[in-house]
Amino acid sequence: MKMKTTIAGAAGLAMLASFAVSGPAMADKLEDLKAQGFARVAIANEPPFTAVAADGKVSGAAPDVAREIFKRLGIDEIVASISEYGAMIPGLQAGRFDVVTAGLFMKPERCAAVVYSEPVLCDAEALLVKKGNPKGFQSYADIANSEGATVGAPGGGTEEKLALDAGVPRDRVIVVPDGQSGLKMVQDGRIDAYSLPVLSINDLMMKANDPNLAVVAPVVGAPVYCDGAAFKKGDEALRDAYDVELAKMKESGEFAKIIEPYGFSAAAAMSTSREKLCSQ
Amino acid sequence: MEWDWAFVWQIFPTLVEGVKITILATLLGSVLAAFVGLGIALARRSSNRILSRSVSFAAEFIRGTPLLVQLYFIFYVLPDIGILLAPLVAGVIGLGLHYGTYTAEVYRAGIDNVPRGQWEAAKACNLSARQTWMHIIIPQALPPMIPALANYFIAMFKETPLLSAITVLELMNQAKSVANSSYRYIEPITMVGAFFLAISLVAVFALRWLERRYGRVET
Repeated sequence: MKMKTTIAGAAGLAMLASFAVSGPAMADKLEDLKAQGFARVAIANEPPFTAVAADGKVSGAAPDVAREIFKRLGIDEIVASISEYGAMIPGLQAGRFDVVTAGLFMKPERCAAVVYSEPVLCDAEALLVKKGNPKGFQSYADIANSEGATVGAPGGGTEEKLALDAGVPRDRVIVVPDGQSGLKMVQDGRIDAYSLPVLSINDLMMKANDPNLAVVAPVVGAPVYCDGAAFKKGDEALRDAYDVELAKMKESGEFAKIIEPYGFSAAAAMSTSREKLCSQ
Repeated sequence: MEWDWAFVWQIFPTLVEGVKITILATLLGSVLAAFVGLGIALARRSSNRILSRSVSFAAEFIRGTPLLVQLYFIFYVLPDIGILLAPLVAGVIGLGLHYGTYTAEVYRAGIDNVPRGQWEAAKACNLSARQTWMHIIIPQALPPMIPALANYFIAMFKETPLLSAITVLELMNQAKSVANSSYRYIEPITMVGAFFLAISLVAVFALRWLERRYGRVET
């Protein structure tokens, strides 16, 4: 009896194992997505990179580019889910999304964890501060050197890393869940600065329409970063197909037509490459 | 997906920092909940109808809304009317108020449990209301309540990860920020579970002891 259950258990395990293997072993992700009719993308709801309207419609420069490219690849629709920046790469690895199109800037450690498309959206970094910039921040190092000054940033975002790298202690880098919270925390004086890419800060400023706030842009010493669509390791074939369409769109000017109304520069994305950004 | 012990040891000190805040928030929240609960229980028994009705309503309101919503309200909305609380303070107030409405029920049951004769005897001895409460009712009502109260405090302890939503750097938030830069969830989140389990187990043993010590109603 005991042996029987053991054998049944082993058989079950073997079956499970074969399922587990057969999932990722189906090499042609593109064909799977075509059959499925949609691709699952991760976004952040940080306009103008990614935005979700009140009625649930997904827009923003990154998903718009992805939607168009997937359409050309024969995948009709994208289904977006909102995620924190820090959860995007683990979520991608866990198979929760097929691609991240959220302004996830290329950096060497991210390039090592996922496979990126060629650059899509480029932006410098900015700080949202009180009017007149009372503490005189021009760079992340200024925040580090200012006694007790705090900076807010999205958890797992580029800005959090930049602030930590500039020497701001962990307990002065406040992880802020979303743009609206960050804005509110600066208004309430909970944090001295809130850091996001320039276009995102400008978007927040425009919506807040608060004369007591000011923007420091670009942050001195922070490079211009570019994002790309990030795919799971092993999906290189899908990424390559994506790159081909992206290059065609860049060539024809349709790429500029999508992203420039959002304020992004197509020339900036076209003047650099994944290879360059991943080693920067 | 493999378990990396070297990574565990590397993140251990960071997580311990989070544990400290988690325990601090629980302790402060418990003290606040104990007092708020007592206040609510007493106010509801008050002969002043306006007081007892309005406190009853407020307690039902707090109990009927999610803690997370209350935390957001305390942290993000109150500054609009000029009340700016530090994240940990806001979190402790949220926990204390929310659980205070539950502990109020424990107090109510405990007080109702004191035999009617005791009230009458106090009256017969010409004790004032204050004396009756301080020397007759509360000393008898309190011991049987202790295990039930402790139970709520363990429950509160396990709710503290909600404080990460209002930027308190407690255990869950520390684990998330570790995961944010390492792209690994398995070790940090498993460790969070392990820390909570370890502390809960100790608390459960302490609770058993409290039950043995105070759980019986002495006659």
